[in-house]
Amino acid sequence: MNAVRHLWARHRIAFVAFLLALSVTVFFAARLLFFLVYWADPARQDQDIAGWMTLGYVARSWDIPPETLANGLGIPEGSARGHTLAELAAARGMPVVSFADEITAVIAAARAAGAGGTE
Amino acid sequence: MTTWLLSLVPVYGAYLVFAATFLSCLALPIPSSLIMLAAGAFTATGDLALTSAGLAALAGALAGDQTGYGIGRLFGAGLLARLETAGARGKALARARRLLSDRAGMAVFLSRWLFSPVGPWLNLVAGAGRFHWLPFTLAGIGGEAVWVGLYVGMGRLFAANLEWAGDMISSALGLVAGLTALVGLGLWLRHALKERAA
Repeated sequence: MNAVRHLWARHRIAFVAFLLALSVTVFFAARLLFFLVYWADPARQDQDIAGWMTLGYVARSWDIPPETLANGLGIPEGSARGHTLAELAAARGMPVVSFADEITAVIAAARAAGAGGTE
Repeated sequence: MTTWLLSLVPVYGAYLVFAATFLSCLALPIPSSLIMLAAGAFTATGDLALTSAGLAALAGALAGDQTGYGIGRLFGAGLLARLETAGARGKALARARRLLSDRAGMAVFLSRWLFSPVGPWLNLVAGAGRFHWLPFTLAGIGGEAVWVGLYVGMGRLFAANLEWAGDMISSALGLVAGLTALVGLGLWLRHALKERAA
C-alpha cells in the first residue's frame, strides 16, 4: 500500500500509464477469447453472401472452384474479376438479394454434384 | 460503413490502399488495417495483384510518414524550441526529447505496427525535434514493411473469412501492445521503488 502511495505521489504519470496498459491488456485478452469462442461455431464459417464480395471471394469462402461458380451463373470466366456482387447484380438488372439467391442455388447444386469439395 | 468500404477495395484496389495508408499515417481516422486485410484477401481470390496491392500500401505509408516528418520539421521545430526554454515544463520536455532520441530508431520501428496509434504523432515529433532523416526513414521502412506484411499477408492467408481475420489480428496486436507497455512500465515502476528503498 505504501508503495502504491509513493508511486502515486512521485511517479503519477507512469503509474496511471501502467494501470491504463493493464486495462488495455485485459480488454484485448478478453476480446481475443471472445472471438475464439465466437468463431468456433461452424455456422459462422460460411459467410452470408453480401454485395461487397466478389465472385472469387464467395468461391473461396464457400470452398467451391471459382470456375464452377462462374459457369453456373453464365458469367464468362475472368470477366467478373475486380467487380463486386453489387456491380454484377446491377449489370444484370436485378437486386443484390436475388443475385445472392441465384449464387446460393449454384453453390448448393455444385455441392450436391460433389464438385464443391468438402462440406 | 464497413461493407461500403469493403466494396470499394476490389474496384479501386491499389489506389484505395495507397490513399488509406497515406492518410492514416497523418493521423486521419481511416480504417487502413481493414482495407489492407481486404486487399490481401482479394489478392487470394484473383481480384487484385499481390505486388501492386502490397507496394501501394507500403508506398502510401512511407509517403505519409515523410509528410508528417516534413510538417513537423517545417512548423514544429520553432515551436518546440520555444517551449523548451519555458520553465520547468520546458526542461521536462527537453529531457523527454533526449530520452526519445536515444531510442528513436526502435521507437519509430515499433510505432509503425505494434503501437500504431502513436505513429503519426511520432512523425511530427521526429521532424520537429530534428531527428536525423536517414535513421528515421530506415526504421520507418522496416516498421511499415512489417505493418503492411502483417495485414496484407493475414488477409491473403485467411481470405475465406475476412471478419474472422480482422477480429483475430486486431485482438492479438492489441494484446501484444498492451503486454509490451505493461512490462516496460512495470520495470520502470520497480526501478523507481528500488531507488526509494536505496
